[in-house]
Formats: sequence, C-alpha cells, structure tokens
Amino acid sequence: MEVKKTQSKAFANLIASILLLCFEGWAWYQTTLIKTAKNAAVQPSAFPRIMIIGMTVFTVTLLIQSVIKLSSMKPDDPLAQKAESLNLVADKGVRAAFLVIFLCCLYVYFFKSLGYVVVSFLLSAIIMWLIGLRKPAPLLLISSLVPLGMWLIFYKFLSVNIPMGWLQFLRDLVDKI
Amino acid sequence: MDWNLLFSSYANVFLDPTVLLMTLLGAVGGVLLGAIPGMTATMGVALLIPFSFGMDLIPSVGLLLGIYCGGMYGGSISAILIHAPGTPSAAATLLDGYPMAQKGEAGKALSVAMFSSFCGGVIGALIMTFLSPLVAKVAMKFTSAEMLMLAVFGLSVIISISGKSISKGLISAFFGMLLCTIGLDPTYSKQRFTFGVTSLKGGLSFIPVLIGLFAVAEVIAGVERIIAGRESAQAKSTEKITRVLPDGKTIKQIWANIVSGGIIGTFIGAIPGAGGDIAVFVSYAFNKGTSKHPEKWGTGIPNGVASTESANNGCSGGAMIPLLSLGVPGDSVTAILLGAFIMKGIQPGPMMYVSELPTVYKVFAALMLANLAMLIVGCAGVRVFAKIVSLEKRMLYPIILVVSLLGAFSINKNVFDVGVCVAFGVIGWLMNKYEFPLSPILLALILGPMCEQNFVRFMDLNKGDFSQIIHYPIAIGFFVVAVGVVIYSLINQKKINKREKEALAKAGVEDVSFAQE
Repeated sequence: MEVKKTQSKAFANLIASILLLCFEGWAWYQTTLIKTAKNAAVQPSAFPRIMIIGMTVFTVTLLIQSVIKLSSMKPDDPLAQKAESLNLVADKGVRAAFLVIFLCCLYVYFFKSLGYVVVSFLLSAIIMWLIGLRKPAPLLLISSLVPLGMWLIFYKFLSVNIPMGWLQFLRDLVDKI
Repeated sequence: MDWNLLFSSYANVFLDPTVLLMTLLGAVGGVLLGAIPGMTATMGVALLIPFSFGMDLIPSVGLLLGIYCGGMYGGSISAILIHAPGTPSAAATLLDGYPMAQKGEAGKALSVAMFSSFCGGVIGALIMTFLSPLVAKVAMKFTSAEMLMLAVFGLSVIISISGKSISKGLISAFFGMLLCTIGLDPTYSKQRFTFGVTSLKGGLSFIPVLIGLFAVAEVIAGVERIIAGRESAQAKSTEKITRVLPDGKTIKQIWANIVSGGIIGTFIGAIPGAGGDIAVFVSYAFNKGTSKHPEKWGTGIPNGVASTESANNGCSGGAMIPLLSLGVPGDSVTAILLGAFIMKGIQPGPMMYVSELPTVYKVFAALMLANLAMLIVGCAGVRVFAKIVSLEKRMLYPIILVVSLLGAFSINKNVFDVGVCVAFGVIGWLMNKYEFPLSPILLALILGPMCEQNFVRFMDLNKGDFSQIIHYPIAIGFFVVAVGVVIYSLINQKKINKREKEALAKAGVEDVSFAQE
C-alpha cells in the first residue's frame, strides 16, 4: 500500500505541533491578563508560564523531529504509516464520531430542561440505532431502563439529586413509596 | 510489642459477628460504589458514616474500612471493563486492565486486580502493625520542600507511561499541569484562564476530566470504528471464567509486582496529602522499569494490573499510619475516620499507643478483616462483573456513555461538569487518534496542584530563593531519585522502541512502501 508523505504519521505530527504552538502562544497571551499580586515571591502567572514554556520546548522538539523524519523517512519507519484521518467527507467513521460529539453537546444543553432520563434515553437510542441495533424492543428497553435504573440508584441510595425535567413526577412517586 | 495483646485483639475482631457483618456490608457497598464512575471510596465513607454513629467503635471502623478497601478494588472494575476508572486510584489500572479485557481476558484481569488488592491491603496492614511509629516519624518530617520534590518524583514517571514518543508524553504532561492552573490561584485567589465563567473559578474537577478522557473518548472512538467497519457491532467477550482467583502460574508471574506495589503504596499512603492516585503511577513505573520485558507493559499483561492494584490497597494501610500515630489523616477517607474516632471519645495521636493500645491493635485487625471481606465480595462478584463485557458493543457503548455522563454530573451536581466531561471526551479522542498518550495528563492533574502549592509556599518561605532547597536532604533525595528515574526510563524507552521496530519489521511492514511526493 502506498502512503503519501502528507498522509503519514510524521506529517500529522508536524501539523499537530504547529497547532500546539498556536495554542501555546494564545495561552501565553492569556497569562498576561492575569492580575499581579503585591509582595508575592511567585506571581499567579508564574506557574502557568513555566508549564507553557515546558510544553513549547517539547512541541518544538516534536516539530523538529517531524521535519527531520519527513526529509529522510524510510518506508519501514513506523512514522511512515498512514495517519488517522479527520476527513468528514471521505471517512464515514469520522462523520459518525462527529455526530456523536454533536449529540453529546445537545445532551449537555438539554440536560437540565429535559432531565437526565429523557436526554439519556434519546442519546443512547440514537447511538444504538446508528451503530446497528435496529430491533425496537431491545433498543427502547435498554435506552429507557438503564437511565431509569441509574437515576433510581443515585437518587434513592446515594442521595444525589438529578434533574428530571418532564419526569419530575417520578421523584414524587419514589418519595411516596 | 505486646504480642499477647496483639493476638487477643485480632481474635476479638475476627470472632465478633457484629464486626464481621459490618465489615462485609461495608465491603459490598465499597465495591459497588467504587465500580460506578464518579463515586469514590471517600464519598462512600461520607455517605455511610451517619449509619455508624449508633455503633461501637470497632464495628463502625470495620464498616468504614470495608467501604474504603472495597472502594479501592471497586474502582478497578470499571477501569478494566469499560475504560472508565471508578476512582482516581484506579486510573493506572486501565493501562493494562482494559487491553486485557479487549483481548477477552476480563475475568482474569478482574481476578488479578482482586487478588493483588487483597495482598496489597494485607502488606499495608502488616507494615502498619509493625512499623507505624517509625514510618510516621519519617513522613511527618515532610515540609513544602519535600512535598514539592515528592511531586517532582511522581512526575518523573511520566516518561515510562508516555508510550512510543517521549516528546508527546511530555507535551501531554505539561498540558495537564496547565489545566490544573485554571481557576483561582491557590495563594492569592487571582483568576486564571476563567474567561468570566463562574464555574471555572473552582478549577476543573478531576473526575469529569478523567471520565471524559477515557470513557467518553472510548465511546466516540468505538462508534467511529464500528461505522468504519474496523470493529463488529455484535462483538462481545466470550471468555469463560473457570476460576475466580488467579492460577498458580499467574501468581508466580505477578508476586514480585504485588509485593513491591504493596510496599510503595504503604509508604506513599503514609505521607499526608499523597494517596493511592500517586502511588499507583509510581508503582507502575517502578515495576515496568524493573521488568525484563517493559515493551509488553500497556499491552494487557497481568503484571500491570497487579502493580497498581496492590499499590492502591497498600495505601489504605499507609494512610492509617499518620492517623493513628500522630492524629494526622493521610487522606480524605482517614480524615473522616478521624472524625469517627473523636466522636467515640478517642483522640488518635502518640498518646493513643499508650492509653488505647488495645484499640490500636483492633483497628489493625479491622483493616486486615476489611481486606479479607473485600476478597470474599470480589470472589463472589467476578463472574457477575465480567458479564458486562459479554454485552454486544452496540449496546455497551451507549450504556457506558450515559452512565459516565451521570458520574460526571454526580461529583458537584453541576451540568457544567457534564460539559467538561464531553469536551475532554473530544480532546481524548483526538489525542488517541494522533497518538498523544493520555496517562501523563492524568498524572499531571493529580500532581499539578500539589506541585504548584508547595512550590509557591516554599518560595514564599524562602523569599524567592529556590537554592535554599539544598538544606532539605529528604527533598534532595527525592530529586536525585527522580533524575535517576528519568535517565533510567529514557534508556528503557530506547530499548522498547528498538524492540518494537524489530517486531514491526518481522511482522512484514515491508509492504508499506513510502512514496516520495
């Protein structure tokens, strides 16, 4: 199998190190916004800056390693193998992963208003359907019973109050029992 | 040492049906709580302490220690089965435990974890019985300088858990340390990287980050693999568990890891402020470094599970040492236990060894009993727990996701933490994809606050002059050991990379031809 240079792990490392350098520059700028403390031997911004410097040193190391590797890479080098893709168009696996991330974001957004059981039911049912569980009975049963069971354990036995949204009446029901 | 009193105290505890029952109940509760991502042994002890108010001291201590020891083992169950450590102390167990489960050896991994937890706990209890005054004396000499260097020593193991690329491992570690600085700074309460978000002022909670990096990231990657056709949605473990304890061959293979893990765990547990979460990584790195085949570590070998599980249970004995001999709790669980002692009218400390010696020995015995109870509960549960991975992946992944996200919420009862968990799930997925190791972030998150607080305290005490560190011999000792560990790990990693390259060449990577553009 032929692996192009731009698809190799070494090239992915190069891109990652450039992105990391941008992140480190941004993080350094953020440390300049931290207020200073009077008469402090160590300023509040000092420790984060030490960490950013450390991170930058090894990012530059990775960058240099990647450049050297790309210029003199042999086919049997582990870094000459094909890197994982993030191509939404060509890779349906990546598309599915981004869909799960999007669903998780919606999950967080509606967690409080719809309640844990409802959002968990929707999230798990959609993911199960997505990855091939098409039989309605197990799909609906697992998606509803697992969140309900978890809610009951956390609420009744561990005294953790979880948002229930539309199913608030279940809490009153359990309280009465 | 009064041997007669020691034996009679052990006999009193082991033959008292109330103590036996309470300890067993505690172990059951601890194992179940520990297995739920987000529920720690500390929470279990805090939840059940009101039930111990009406009991005598020893049954209540038995109950609480049962939860403590059970929780330590329970954390490994979810780490091994679903890639989400139930407790921070089980964070390193997933390095080898999860790959073992992936290879269809979940039952074996669970039994090794349980057996090692038991042995580590017994080692901790024995050291506590015989050496507690001595260990406590050394541990209490620790000032900010020693604590800082202990954190540096802890961080020195990063290289050995970095995997193939040390640069990537160190980038992960510094990124983790940077994450620790989010929120109000611990000394002057100035806001750092909060962006006006109130929920960020307290910093990132460890558990949601942990669950996100491992469990949520694994679910995203799992869905990706299934849709891309690299994994079967109907895949499930078909492992048949014929025995609940490891066989003789496995015990022979792991005994050295168990002993060293137990000893490391006990000594680290005895240092106030340092606990199982640090001990497991130190033990893992030590055992990997001294192994004849370090390249096999992280691929799913029982030695990795044994080294971490014995260390975190060894900590339970270690943490009791400063509590009993000095009245200083070694960790959050023993802080709650200290409260239980005081409520019963007993003040732990040096005088306890004079005025309450029978009670001290009974606590030693209760810890031993708690470990035994944990073993019994673990044996009974191995087959049941292992059933989890016999579920098809298309059912398992969504279940892991909703259980994990609830675990993230339960820590602070805050939806923001669920968001943090998802965000770190994405970060973890991307890092895994591009081979940035996740374990260094974890270690950095554990040691980062300890490192910064003690660094700032030390600098303040010494008017900004770091060179004063030379006046602290224990700190220098830690630093020298840390440098030694780094050098040794670098040499070791070079060997591992060389062997892997040879193995790759043998496996026939010749067909991968590189095309120059």
